[in-house]
Amino acid sequence: MHIDLKKEIKESGPGKAGLIILLLMVVIALLAPILAPYDPYQQSTASLLPPSWQHWLGMNHVGQDIWSQLLYGARTSLLVGFGVGIISTLLGTVFGVSAALVGGIYEKVVMRIVDAFIVIPMVIVVILISAYIRPSITTLILLLSFLSWQGGARIIRAQALSLKERANVTAAKSFGANHFYIAWRHIIPDLGPILLVDFIYSVRRAIFMEAGLAFLGISDPTVVSWGMMMRDALSFSYLSVWQWWLVPTGVALSLTIIGLTFIGHAAEPVIEPRLRGVGIA
Amino acid sequence: MLSKRNVITYAIAFVFILLLNFLLPRMIPGDPLMAIYGDEALIAMTPELKTNLVERFALDEPLWHQLGAYFVALFQGELGYSYYYNAPVLSVILGRLPWTLLLVGTSLILSTMLGIILGIESGWRRGSKTDRAMLAGLMSLNGFPDFFLGMLLLIAFGVTWGIFPLAGALTPYSGLSGLALLLDVLKHLFLPVAALTLAHLASGYLLTRNTMITVLKEPYMLTAKAKGLSQQVLKYRHAGRNSMLPVVTQTGIWVGRVVTGALFVELVFAYPGVGFLTYEALLARDYPIIQGVFLIVAISVLAVNFLVDLSYPKLDPRVSYAY
Repeated sequence: MHIDLKKEIKESGPGKAGLIILLLMVVIALLAPILAPYDPYQQSTASLLPPSWQHWLGMNHVGQDIWSQLLYGARTSLLVGFGVGIISTLLGTVFGVSAALVGGIYEKVVMRIVDAFIVIPMVIVVILISAYIRPSITTLILLLSFLSWQGGARIIRAQALSLKERANVTAAKSFGANHFYIAWRHIIPDLGPILLVDFIYSVRRAIFMEAGLAFLGISDPTVVSWGMMMRDALSFSYLSVWQWWLVPTGVALSLTIIGLTFIGHAAEPVIEPRLRGVGIA
Repeated sequence: MLSKRNVITYAIAFVFILLLNFLLPRMIPGDPLMAIYGDEALIAMTPELKTNLVERFALDEPLWHQLGAYFVALFQGELGYSYYYNAPVLSVILGRLPWTLLLVGTSLILSTMLGIILGIESGWRRGSKTDRAMLAGLMSLNGFPDFFLGMLLLIAFGVTWGIFPLAGALTPYSGLSGLALLLDVLKHLFLPVAALTLAHLASGYLLTRNTMITVLKEPYMLTAKAKGLSQQVLKYRHAGRNSMLPVVTQTGIWVGRVVTGALFVELVFAYPGVGFLTYEALLARDYPIIQGVFLIVAISVLAVNFLVDLSYPKLDPRVSYAY
């Protein structure tokens, strides 16, 4: 693979824009306790106040500062996103690479399970499970990870199959290297760009899902999240509060997802080199 | 074409869905009867009814026997009883299903057709300013969650300008019929369909555009051009038609996505389909309904995927070599 991922993203305008948006969100999430002027969980009697110098985005229905909630919401989204991204990319790598190297019955079993999970509509499975167990953030991360590594495993396996045929792997094998050594030294390092694309799309999907579940009201009610804020704001859509409650929250969520989409798109030639040079810029 | 690989894949998916539906309520701590029947049931529950239900699901027997009882009930078309609606689950869901089918069907057709056309036009102009603008615009649109798009449309066209109704699928107690009824249905349908279509436009567009770019490099395009065919014929008949094939393979997966998208959009517009039913059931902890919706939606999506897989080699004979 002679495509440099860093170069690919840096040379694409939207890729850069996506990276800047994502970095901004990460900074907000990390510094939320410092940046937030109020405790986002502190309720007060000042409910449904319009924006003012004290409360930039006003107060919600139970008198919580919306601006502070917005900042803390970034934490939840990114925590779930990156958590799922890391675990599911890890699972995808383990199963994809091992299926390619071990082959035989093992590969068949793994790939049939992978295919089965690709056709099952994930959102509805997550909703059913969440309806029963009302997951905490940690449980949600694990749940989403277990249900979303399969797509990545398919691409990783395909790539590993072609890497396996290279001379360095044959050489390593002739010196008696085992599967684990070959995977670690010769396959996984060359998978780098593909793993990053898989990671970006997993993060994106997880942020989408977390917001959706919170919007349905089946996430952890003790943690502020953008989906939950939008759900609360929806019940007051007949008032003008949507201008400072719903819209900024929805825009923050959409921007995060758009940022990830742009990065993913800029990096896509890694998977499909024929698309080089015909991106947005 | 029915390949062994396909059959095994779908069998695993099917078994997973049934087992999940069977095990979840029985695995969580507490009274399984409550987990199967929900909070409402306990209020309605008399001791006789309780014994009856325990017996029906073999709840006092080992898990293995319970599984048997579960399958027997399932294959008799028995999805349980909702004590919240005081009606069998199947009839509650079937009553809501037409609205969801209308919403999902319309949005799926619109978003796929528009996506293909935009993809062909954009791919044809690859690298140009128009192409880049369309790509950036649609990719940004793709970042908006369907429920947020729905809320924006609701506030703009419903609340602020009052052009479209705010909620529901029909004007209640209007006694409309004929053409007036049809118009009323369409008026209520417009915003939810617009939200779902916009949210899913990008998938078809991106896929068609990508294929278009590869197809345009094929030698047969050069031949067609050399024959002196018109731009329109080149664009749509030669390149466009060949760029649509991958879209067909994705339809199955999109059905799943649009159905779950409809769930969120229905909530925003209080559209009385299966999605809104799920939301009501989640609020009331009406587990039989949640389980029934899960089963019906998951199995329908699987069925569509399966049919697409079966028909694909007929559309593109090249893929049958892949098995």
